[in-house]
Amino acid sequence: MPPPVQSQRSPSPSQPSGKSEVSDLKLQLRQLAGSRAPGVDDSKRELFKKVISYMTIGIDVSSLFGEMVMCSATSDVVLKKMCYLYVGNYAKVNPDLALLTINFLQRDCRDEDPMIRGLALRSLSSLCVANLVEYLVGPLGSGLKDGNAYVRMVAVIGVLKLYRFSSSTCIDAEFPSILKHLMISDSDTHVVANCLSALQEIWSAEASASDEALREREALISKPIIYYLLNRIKEFSEWAQCLVLELVTKYVPSDTSEVFDIMNLLEDRLQHANGAVVLATAKVFLQLTLSMSDVHHKVYERIKAPMLTLVSSGSPEQSYAVLSHLHLLVMRAPYIFFSDYKHFYCQYYEPSYVKRLKLEMLTAVANESNTYEIVTELCEYAANVDVPIARESIRAVGKIALQQYDVNAIVDRLLQFLEMEKDYVTAEALVLVKDLLRKYPQWSQDCIAVVGNISSKTVQEPKAKAALIWMLGEYSQEMQDAPYVLESLVENWEEEHSAEVRLHLLTAVMKCFFKRPPETQNALGAALAAVAERVVNPPKQAVSVFADTQSSEIKDRIFDEFNSLSVVYQKPSYMFTDREHRGQIEFSDELGNLSIGGEPSENVVSAQRVDENDKDLLLTTSEKEEASGLSNNGSAYASPYDNSSASAVGSQTRAESEISNPTATGYSSQSASLGIEDLLGLGSPAAAPAPPSPQLKLNAVAALDPSTFQQKWRQLPVALSQEYSVSPRGVAALTAPQALIRHMQSHSIHCIASGGQSPSFKFFFFAQKTESSSTYLVECIINTSSANAQTKIKADDQSTSEVFSTLFQSALSKFGNP
Amino acid sequence: MPVAASAIYFLNLRGDVLINRLYRDDVGGNMVDAFRMHIMQTKELGTCPVRQIGGCSFFYMRISNVYIVIVVSSNANVACAFKFVVEAVALFKSYFGGAFDEDAIRNNFVLIYELLDEIMDFGYPQNLSPEILKLYITQEGVRSPFSSKSSDKPVPNATLQVTGAVGWRREGLVYKKNEVFLDIVESVNLLMSSKGSVLRCDVTGKILMKCFLSGMPDLKLGLNDKIGLEKESQLKSRPAKSGKTIELDDVTFHQCVNLTRFNSEKTVSFVPPDGEFELMKYRITEGVNLPFRVLPTIKELGRTRMEVNVKVKSVFGAKMFALGVVIKIPVPKQTAKTSFQVTSGRAKYQASIDCLVWKIRKFPGQTEPTLSAEVELISTMAEKKSWTRPPIQMEFQVPMFTASGLRVRFLKVWEKSGYNTVEWVRYITKAGSYEIRC
Repeated sequence: MPPPVQSQRSPSPSQPSGKSEVSDLKLQLRQLAGSRAPGVDDSKRELFKKVISYMTIGIDVSSLFGEMVMCSATSDVVLKKMCYLYVGNYAKVNPDLALLTINFLQRDCRDEDPMIRGLALRSLSSLCVANLVEYLVGPLGSGLKDGNAYVRMVAVIGVLKLYRFSSSTCIDAEFPSILKHLMISDSDTHVVANCLSALQEIWSAEASASDEALREREALISKPIIYYLLNRIKEFSEWAQCLVLELVTKYVPSDTSEVFDIMNLLEDRLQHANGAVVLATAKVFLQLTLSMSDVHHKVYERIKAPMLTLVSSGSPEQSYAVLSHLHLLVMRAPYIFFSDYKHFYCQYYEPSYVKRLKLEMLTAVANESNTYEIVTELCEYAANVDVPIARESIRAVGKIALQQYDVNAIVDRLLQFLEMEKDYVTAEALVLVKDLLRKYPQWSQDCIAVVGNISSKTVQEPKAKAALIWMLGEYSQEMQDAPYVLESLVENWEEEHSAEVRLHLLTAVMKCFFKRPPETQNALGAALAAVAERVVNPPKQAVSVFADTQSSEIKDRIFDEFNSLSVVYQKPSYMFTDREHRGQIEFSDELGNLSIGGEPSENVVSAQRVDENDKDLLLTTSEKEEASGLSNNGSAYASPYDNSSASAVGSQTRAESEISNPTATGYSSQSASLGIEDLLGLGSPAAAPAPPSPQLKLNAVAALDPSTFQQKWRQLPVALSQEYSVSPRGVAALTAPQALIRHMQSHSIHCIASGGQSPSFKFFFFAQKTESSSTYLVECIINTSSANAQTKIKADDQSTSEVFSTLFQSALSKFGNP
Repeated sequence: MPVAASAIYFLNLRGDVLINRLYRDDVGGNMVDAFRMHIMQTKELGTCPVRQIGGCSFFYMRISNVYIVIVVSSNANVACAFKFVVEAVALFKSYFGGAFDEDAIRNNFVLIYELLDEIMDFGYPQNLSPEILKLYITQEGVRSPFSSKSSDKPVPNATLQVTGAVGWRREGLVYKKNEVFLDIVESVNLLMSSKGSVLRCDVTGKILMKCFLSGMPDLKLGLNDKIGLEKESQLKSRPAKSGKTIELDDVTFHQCVNLTRFNSEKTVSFVPPDGEFELMKYRITEGVNLPFRVLPTIKELGRTRMEVNVKVKSVFGAKMFALGVVIKIPVPKQTAKTSFQVTSGRAKYQASIDCLVWKIRKFPGQTEPTLSAEVELISTMAEKKSWTRPPIQMEFQVPMFTASGLRVRFLKVWEKSGYNTVEWVRYITKAGSYEIRC
């Protein structure tokens, strides 16, 4: 790829002609400005075209501003448009000159041709110059009242532009309330749609500052508005339909019959030719049925076919966008796609980003009935030209093998890989064979015979080498020349730079020594000497005790943001729209691996590795507003509902919950009874709007990455150390750590790591205050046989640790309560 | 919000900006530099069409020799954004008359600026329908039957049309001869194993229409699909006619189709847009009639010789024939010399794509020509077994044949003036991705 042609973008010595041509143009424009000769418009057109083309390639033609404005007096629409374009481009750098344009733009706003009125208004509102704002209010006001829909359509967006530029002017002129009126009264759907876009943006931005704006934003998703829009949905353009559908996903129907009404009404949208409409409809269906597990299941079935069609039609980019969503669904409910696995077969010439997603989906949908076909197919890809894809497919075979009980055929395949004599294939296969042997020791004989034939010299990749060495150590009894191979490896200790390999080598020599002492003595001695000589401190191997809570929470959030970038990036929007999270591209790849599960533990940890400055984490301002907005209205929603829909409200709001006192109305029992929904990703049911607590608010969606946690845990002193007893019911409920983790999460206390088996469990929890980034860290050891819990609390803000402690204790005491 | 695009760029393959339009101020003007530096100049190009750089996300698509890049700063709707680009390109094409490439952009940049202003405002998609836009964006190069009329004097109430309820058709159209052309175009996607078993097979079809009809006609289309036929026999309370019915896996329609009526009566009824449009798309996975079977045997004789035998069977009716059949048989990179024998058509070795290319211009049904070739390889020391055996690929067109078996049963046109119409129906099946492993 050649370097970017900078000279085209900025005037530079290499383009000396630029300047002289500009002054040439200036002269010609000046001549034409006053002329009324016939045909002058044509010559103006040519000149304007030249100006615009210079502007496009980056030559600065702002010096022509005066002349361009002088020439703008014309009735030729095309000429006007070019002039508007020019003015729009240079007004910002020439605010004083921009004032010159106001006159003719304002005049055009009163033109008898609605087209010109619209165009002029659009240009006027795009100027973005501070001293021009006052001139905009009048034309916008009359534009909104214009008899022509085109002008109104432009005016509505103009209001939004004004708001973005000077919010106070826009609010003071009471434009938002005019838009609100237009939205429900205008006969034209384009106008209605633009009103909706504008109002959503304006209220969302205002919501933090004013309660009224918050209420207004709530009003957008109120029943009358939603029904009004839904009933007209077919009249909207396809883009506006996407907008309306997105709004509907936020609506909370009062009962199930309403849900069905909406779904019946929107059913035919799934047959729309525009894939964006189909996806938006799918999102509505998924969100509406979150709390109705069997219907939710049917929704998957219903949206499957249209989505598969979208994948197989359109450009690779489009199918990638859809495939990412399908990927999300497959990961959430693989059983729905068991029989559709053939759709995920890769074509030879498909781009690798499509292939990668397909491989993951193939892995996820493998079950007893289709494993053979899928593995056969994956083996085809092992010989793929695209080496990363070939590697992925071998790993996929391994993952399937680890999932399945019937691994007979798979083991054969893996062993064939070892005989393919391609370095990367051998390397990947070795790692897999090692993993397989750890799970299915009964296959050792077959495997060892093949592995024994592999020369350790051809294996270069550290992971593969470590795997081979592990097998040499583990099966030194069966492998004839194991001690000698190990010995030669020990001899090359100095050249071996990978700590992982060295570590395995040392252990393997040790194991071998216990089985075949005389033959290994030398090697062991040499190895120990090498270790003693240069104390090797391999980086700590991370363990997989870190609970999956964070990632499951992340997955739920991504699901909430269905039909957006989040799904493609496989991370929630705050991670890439928040300034603090920006620029961590590698994160998404890791997370991709995570979602399949069964990855080596290092990846899990690195996937959770978030930037240092993320302690306050999480909510973008707009999300915060949204959350608090919903919880404000939460009480209004909650009363008429039965429990399940109330919890749906909770889960959708992802609100910052208020907890403290013992009133939280038995959510643990709800989450137990709604277990199936939880599987479908209801996530943490946030606490119901409880009587207000004066003490401490915790952030329901707090997040902390393990490394920050560890760092803090090391740095902070223990603020409180307590011991208390656990209720018998709590003990009974604590059969596995997950139960408690889920319970505590509903109290906004999150688990970062857990472990242990009955009767002794150990947890590391953390929580964050809503208003600040202050974090609490808890180590909690629960012994179910003695029914007591030991906690150690550390806090950023020591003064509040007492309050937090009571909170924690009360949350814990409610565990197991019906 | 579905898409609030901050900017759109059109770049050529070198990364020069052909046209750009900033819709919102929330991204800097240096976005295109970021794109060039982080995507175009690295190996990232082609690895993923959605990339995040800094706080912005870039969606990009390559269409002929142009990159179209959309920059967003929020959590935008990706599918919507790509669809927008595709639709915008279709719109530009209908203005330029077919081609969309660097030259077309350079020659029409003023027009594109105008269109970019109309189709998106402050990042929100507006009106992208060519029929409507052509009423009031009339530069030279508009290729619409009534362009000559409307560009002479601006249509005074064009803007009313912009926002009408039947957004896709304007009133008052008059044609001397009322004609409808219906094209059923299917593409067959096949993945066949080296042993000849079908791994994956589906048909994606579309029905393209060209309507030259006066007034506001109502059209009704009947197909031989299973659900439609069953519904019909139910309504008329008589048993379904015997004959082949087919099951459509999934159907999507142009916005003009009345979907409520489709769901209740299973008939496709609509008021068509004027001119050319895509009425519906469908997908079928069951009961696909493959037009061709390919039986390859490729033997590697030692390190320097290969023997290739390929037999291609045409399975469709003997009276039909396929056109433009091309069979690409991959051979290793180090191919030195080839010799062929073919019973039909012509074959040659094309080194640039490492394939033996066998072309048969006219391929009758129920025949099975063969190719046998000997390939000599340069012996190389390194990389034994490095040849990955890519699949054989096939291109073809079979007129008057549908792989799905779909047939048009009737097409009724109803207009209040009661004129007569002439209907033309064509069928054609093309190869989609037709791959046979070997």
